[in-house]
Amino acid sequence: MDKLKLLIADDSEDNRLVLRAICRKLEGFEIRDAVDGLEAIEITQTWQPHIILMDIMMPKMDGFEASKIIKEQYPDVVIIAVTAVIDSRVEDNMSLIGVDIYIHKPVDRELIRYKLQSIAASLRVTLGKKNILSTKIALNPFNSDIRSFKTIFDILNAESMMDFGMWLFDQYNGKSIVASNKFDRAVEVFYMLMSQGNKNGETMSIIIEESYEEFYITMKFDRVITLEQKVSEMLKEFGTEFILQENIVCVRLSKPQEIKVIAKEIPKYIEKILLTTTKVESTCQSIQEEIQESVKEVKEIRVIQSNERELLHQSFVNKTSAADYVSELGGDVLEEILDLTSIDEEWEGTLGAIEKNPTEENFVYFADSVLNVYVRAINNLFEFTALAYALTSLSVFMKESAKVVSEDSEKIKMLIMLLEHLGKDLTSWREHIFILQDTADIHYVDSSFFSSCMQIEAIIDDKHVDADDENDMEFF
Amino acid sequence: MAKRVIIVDDSRAVIATAELALEEMINSGTIEFKSYLNPMDLLGALQSGSENYDLLISDVNMPQLNGLDLARAIKADDRYKNKPLIILTTESSNDLKMLGKEIGVTGWMVKPFSDDKLVKSLKMILGV
Repeated sequence: MDKLKLLIADDSEDNRLVLRAICRKLEGFEIRDAVDGLEAIEITQTWQPHIILMDIMMPKMDGFEASKIIKEQYPDVVIIAVTAVIDSRVEDNMSLIGVDIYIHKPVDRELIRYKLQSIAASLRVTLGKKNILSTKIALNPFNSDIRSFKTIFDILNAESMMDFGMWLFDQYNGKSIVASNKFDRAVEVFYMLMSQGNKNGETMSIIIEESYEEFYITMKFDRVITLEQKVSEMLKEFGTEFILQENIVCVRLSKPQEIKVIAKEIPKYIEKILLTTTKVESTCQSIQEEIQESVKEVKEIRVIQSNERELLHQSFVNKTSAADYVSELGGDVLEEILDLTSIDEEWEGTLGAIEKNPTEENFVYFADSVLNVYVRAINNLFEFTALAYALTSLSVFMKESAKVVSEDSEKIKMLIMLLEHLGKDLTSWREHIFILQDTADIHYVDSSFFSSCMQIEAIIDDKHVDADDENDMEFF
Repeated sequence: MAKRVIIVDDSRAVIATAELALEEMINSGTIEFKSYLNPMDLLGALQSGSENYDLLISDVNMPQLNGLDLARAIKADDRYKNKPLIILTTESSNDLKMLGKEIGVTGWMVKPFSDDKLVKSLKMILGV
């Protein structure tokens, strides 16, 4: 069969080179590149690749859109999405348009080769099958009443010869075989035939047709075949079970029978089954124990609500610099914010008190008298909704978990450490915005601060933060 | 030998939470952890050659220098061009990610981050 066409669509030249280098080592592929989704579509229309390695994030048109259009026009093309580590929403969408195979970045060379080889093998069988099945007649000269499926091996190299051998052994291995069956000799005969064909540079394929009782193994050559003496002698052993016709050699073999258990051996089988059952039971028990063990380790998830997500990812079309912002601010409000300097001391002092005396009351005091004072001042600024929300949420969390945390010395230590850092972050925020007025964007810290508060709550609460896989690392 | 991981973020709380997430890798000697609050300090140290790293984690929105500008400056330097640099930010817009990709950053992780996912990604990048 001709080479399979592989298209690599990626906007990064480095990535294309890496993928090309990986694929070049594979035999039987012709490779072309596309630099974006649009070009991938154009090349697909003119060149019709069998497989596309499609990067998802590309300029002009991304990999998702391009795949959608390509799949509509060419449903048979196999698209492999090359993408960041697991994003279930993207994968669900890709699945809807018929893309189910992934290569995750950073790429694993061996895995890519394995996937491509498996897909190629499957494609070759399908494409070969299509060609042959379209004739709608049996290829073997023995029996035209065959079942509708065929197994086809394109004999390209030693590996495909082995695949055929393996397939045949698989059919007979461990099953009851009638004494006259010559399947092992058939493996040898076909091996000799393949060697003969290889020597003569022929392209060969083996097509296996089946009736309910028999296999018909046909080897097809490009040209009329003249058997070598040795092969001819071996085939004679098959008597009427083999036919040579121009460019085909066909052997028919009885299929293996299901093993029939002889009556006196039944007790032995029952014993064996009972032994297996006990083994399965004990395995089940140990699996269950393992699951229980791992469940203990699984943390709960701190789900990010949709309003929180909005605040986290809020974007401001026009960036306001600190200098512009402060110049517009009323004197009273600015004074209130500048007054917060005194609360820095209160923040540190209260944390010091909690360290010495970690009572529930001290935690509640921190929430009410430190955090909430901050919230009131920030609320007057209108602009900093995310900051105010973050501190309010932290305050509520402190009160709710005061009892539990106050009884856990490890958590007290951790919470105090994190709150000290958070306090310094707030001080630095006030300095950059209201005193130094040196930031080009007054919202530079809002989301990050909010995210830190969320993270602190999750750490103290022994939870994972999760936003529908949004926080997976996305590799480029 | 321990891999040197540097984080640059103007928030002390973010650095502290990242350090807690990586605690096990730090304690086991798999990585050594260094942090910078000011990207200009890091850039200066890298340019003078007094600092080096195996993996750099950078925030985007920092008052002194945007993390993507920092990445661009670092990636222009042959000494650091091929070293992994990941962005850890609350920013999740595709435009910014695309810009990061163009600059040559290795990966993008959105805050708040999951400890496990950060550790898993670091191990994968550092091959440890």
